[in-house]
Amino acid sequence: MVELLAQTGLNALYAASYTALVAVGLVLIFGVMGVINFAHGELFMLGAYAIVAVYADWNLPYLVAVAVGMIFVGIVGLGMERAFFRPLRDNPLGGLVASIGFLMILQALVSMGFGVRMEHVPPVTQDVIVITERVRLPVFRLAVILAAVVLLASLWAFLKKTRFGWALRASAQDPEAAALQGISINQTARIAMFIGAALAGVAGALTAPLISVNPHMGHSVIVTAFIVIIVGGIGSLEGAVIVAVAYAFVHTFVTTFFDGVIADIVGLLLLLIVLIAKPTGLFGSTDRA
Amino acid sequence: MAPPVLEIDNLTMRFGGLTAIDRLSFNVERGAIHGLIGPNGAGKTTTFNVVSGFYKPTGGEVRLRGETISGLRMYEVARRGVVRTFQHSTLFAELSVLENALIGTHMSFPPNIFAAMAGVDKANRRAARARAEEALDFFGLSGLAEELAGDLPHGHQRALGMAVALAARPDVVLLDEPFTGMNPEETGRMMELMVKLRNTGVTILLVEHDMHAIMGLCDRITCMSFGRLLAEGSPQEIRHHPDVIEAYLGGARHVA
Amino acid sequence: MHSRVTNLAAFLGFGAILLALPHTLSFSQQEILVFLTINVLVVASYRLLTLTGEWSLGHVVIMGVGAYASALLSKRLGIYVPASMLLGAVTAAMVALALSFPLFRMKGFYFLIGSFAAGEIIRLLWKRFREPFGGPKGIKKIDPMPDFDIGIYAFDFFEPISYYYFALAVVGVSLWVMWRIERSPVGLTFHAVHWQDKLAEASGVNVRAYRTLAFVLASGFAGLSGALLAHYIGTINPNSFDVEQMVFVLTWTIVGGTATFYGPILGCVVLTILNEIVLREAGFEQMRPLIYGLILILSVLFMPKGLESLVRGALSWRNAGKKKVGETEATE
Ligand SMILES: Nc1ncnc2c1ncn2[C@@H]1O[C@H](COP(=O)(O)OP(=O)(O)OP(=O)(O)O)[C@@H](O)[C@H]1O
Ligand SMILES: [Mg+2]
Repeated sequence: MVELLAQTGLNALYAASYTALVAVGLVLIFGVMGVINFAHGELFMLGAYAIVAVYADWNLPYLVAVAVGMIFVGIVGLGMERAFFRPLRDNPLGGLVASIGFLMILQALVSMGFGVRMEHVPPVTQDVIVITERVRLPVFRLAVILAAVVLLASLWAFLKKTRFGWALRASAQDPEAAALQGISINQTARIAMFIGAALAGVAGALTAPLISVNPHMGHSVIVTAFIVIIVGGIGSLEGAVIVAVAYAFVHTFVTTFFDGVIADIVGLLLLLIVLIAKPTGLFGSTDRA
Repeated sequence: MAPPVLEIDNLTMRFGGLTAIDRLSFNVERGAIHGLIGPNGAGKTTTFNVVSGFYKPTGGEVRLRGETISGLRMYEVARRGVVRTFQHSTLFAELSVLENALIGTHMSFPPNIFAAMAGVDKANRRAARARAEEALDFFGLSGLAEELAGDLPHGHQRALGMAVALAARPDVVLLDEPFTGMNPEETGRMMELMVKLRNTGVTILLVEHDMHAIMGLCDRITCMSFGRLLAEGSPQEIRHHPDVIEAYLGGARHVA
Repeated sequence: MHSRVTNLAAFLGFGAILLALPHTLSFSQQEILVFLTINVLVVASYRLLTLTGEWSLGHVVIMGVGAYASALLSKRLGIYVPASMLLGAVTAAMVALALSFPLFRMKGFYFLIGSFAAGEIIRLLWKRFREPFGGPKGIKKIDPMPDFDIGIYAFDFFEPISYYYFALAVVGVSLWVMWRIERSPVGLTFHAVHWQDKLAEASGVNVRAYRTLAFVLASGFAGLSGALLAHYIGTINPNSFDVEQMVFVLTWTIVGGTATFYGPILGCVVLTILNEIVLREAGFEQMRPLIYGLILILSVLFMPKGLESLVRGALSWRNAGKKKVGETEATE
C-alpha cells in the first residue's frame, strides 16, 4: 500500500508539474490580454510534436529538442498575438472564438504533416532510483518535476525582479494606467503571449516521451487547464499553481483507485461548483469578465 | 395624513471599505415630487440602486406601503410598482423607440409564448402598443417611433428613458438626473410634464443637479452628503439651510 | 395587398424549388442535402440561444442529448420513432433546464466555459456508462423511421429523398415556430435582455427566466435536430457531438451573422455548398477543419456582422434604387 501511495504521489506531482506550466501560461495570457486562449492545448500538442520531429525523427539530443519546442511554440504564440488577438483586443469573445478556429488549424496541420496515428517517442532514460525494494522512482519523471519547478521559479523571478516583469504585472492590473506609464500594450501582450505559449510548448515537450502523442491530445489538456485556472481564480498565477498541484493529486488518485473518466467528471463538477459558488475562483479577487 | 408610500429606514450600503450610504432615513409621501440632492458622490444613485433592488443593502431596509422591499430582485420591486430610470442614458440602443416603450409595457401586458405561437394575443399586443404610443406621445416622441433609440439626440434619449418607465404605469418613479443634456427650454417642458404626471397620482423621487428645476418642482427635498442625511424640508428651508449651503459651497453657489 | 401576393408567390416558388431540388442531385448529394437540412435547424436553434446574449459551447452536446434519448427510447422501449424524436427534444429541453440553474449564475466568459464544462461532463457520462449509452462506441443500429404513405407520396426511408422530405417538413415547422416566437413580444423581450439587461429588469422583466426560456427552447430544437440525425445515420457515439462539431456550428453562425433570423442559415448553406462543391470536387476534403478554422478567424476579423450584413447592404442598395425610381415618377 505504501508503495502504491508513493508511486501515485510521484505520478501526481508529475501531472501537477506539466498542468501548472500549461495553466500558468493560460493565466498569464488572460491576465495581460484579457482573453482566453482556447488553442492552448494545441500549443502543448505542438511542443510534443517538436520532440517527435527533432528528437525521435532527426535524432538530435533531447534537451535540444525541448529548447526547439519551447522557442518554436513561443513564436507560434507571437504569430497568434499579431494575427488575431491584437486586432480583436476590444472583443475578447471574438478573440476566444478566433483561437478556437486556430485550434482547428493546428490540429489539421499536424494531422497532415504527421498523420493522425499516435506517435511513440523513445524513452529518454529508463533509470530508476531505488529507494526500497518496491519503491522505485523513475529518473525522467523526477527530472520533469524539477524542470517545471525551475521554470516556474524563473518565471516568478522574471515577474518580480525585472522591468518587463513589472510591466507585465502592471498591465495585468490596469492596462490603461500601464499605458500611461509608457508601457506599450503591444509589447506586454507580445511578451505574455510568447511566455505563455512557450510554457505550454515546453510542457508538451517534457511529457512527450511518457505519453502517446496525437493531434487531438490538446483536448484533455485544455479541459484540465480550464478547471485549474477557474478554480484557482482566473487572474491569479499563484492560485493556478496551487490548484494545479491539488487537482493533479485528486485526479491521479481518483484515476488510480477508480478510473480516469470518473476523475475527469469529478474535476469538471468541481469546476461547475466553483463557478456557481464563487465565479471569480478560490484565489481570484478581481472580476474582469 | 396619508402614510408615506416609501420609507427609507436606517439604510446602509458599503462597498468594501467605502460606506456609500450611511444610516440614511427619509420618507416619501404619496403623490409628492420629492427631491434627493447632494454633491457628486453623495450616494444618490446608490440610494436608487438599493431602493430599486439593484443592490441588496448592507443594513437597514426600504418599505413600500409598509411592506419591506429591500433585498428583492429589481424586477420584483418593479412589479410592486417602483420603476426607475438610469443616470447614464440606458436604453435599448439597437431597438426602435417604439420597441423601447413596448418593453416598458412588459408588466401590464406580459407576453405569453403559447398565445404568441397560436396567434391569439392580438388584443394584448394592440393594447401594449397603444400604451407604448401613449407614453411616447406624453413625452412628445411620437414622431420618432421608428427611429433607433441609439440614434436620438441626448435630450430625447433622456425623455425616452422616462417614457419607458412610465409606460409601466408605476406608482413610484425614481428619476436619476432626467434633465441632463436638455436645454433650458426642454427642461421647462419636462418640468411641466412632471407636474402633470404628479397630478395623475404618480409619486416621483427625483435626483437632479439642476437646482432651478429642483426648487421649482419639489414638494419636499432631502439633501445628503457623504452618504448621510444632511437636511430635509421644503425647498425654502433647504435653500437657506446652512449645512446645505456649506456642502455645496464652491460648487453650485446659486443655491444660496 | 400587392406585397402579400408577391410574398405568397415567392414562398410557394421557394417551396417548389426545395421540393424539386433533390431530383436534380446525385444520391450522395441527396444525403448531404439531408445533413444540410438538419444542420439548418441546429444553427437556427443556436441563434435562438444567442438572442439573449449568451453564447454556449454546449449546444452540440445538447443536440446529442436529443439524439441519444430518441435512439434509446425507440430501441429499448420500442417507442414509435416520430414520438421518440419529440421525446428526445423534450429530454434535451429538460436537461437544458437543469443545466440552466448553475449556468445562468454566470455570464460572458464564465458562461462559455461553464457550458463547455457541462457539455464535457455529459459526453464523459456517455463514454463511461456502457449501460445504457454504449460507452465510447455509442449506439448502433438505431431504428430507422418507419415507412408510411400519405396518399400523394409514399415515404420509403431507405431513400435519402424521403428522409429529406420528412426532415424538411420537421425543420420547416420548427423554423416557423421560432420565427413566430422571435416576432412576438417574447422575442422582443429576448432582444431587450440581450442589449440592456439592467433596463429590462427595471422594466419588470425577469431576466433570468427569459434567458432560461431561450436556452430551453433552443435546446429543445437542438434535441430535435439530434434525433433527426440519429435516426438517419443509425449510429451515434460521444465523438459525433464533440468540439469539432461545435466549431462547425459556431462557424456557420458567425459567418452568417446573428443579427437576423436567416443569417446563420445562410452561413450554413453557403459553407456547406462551398465544402461539397469546392472542397470535395477538388479533393481537399481532408482540409475541412483547416479551412473552417481559417474561415472562422477571417470572419471574426473582417466580417464581424456576418454574411447577412452583405445581403442587407445589397438590399438597402436596391431599395435606395427603388426609391429613386419612385421619386422620379412622382415628379413627372
Ligand atoms: N458598485 C460600486 N462599487 C464601489 N463603490 C461604489 C459603487 N457604486 C458607487 N460607489 C461609490 O459610492 C459613492 C456614491 O456614489 P453615487 O454614484 O451613489 O453618488 P451620486 O450621489 O449619485 O453622485 P453623482 O451626483 O456624481 O451622480 C461614490 O464614492 C462611488 O464611488
Ligand atoms: Mg448619481
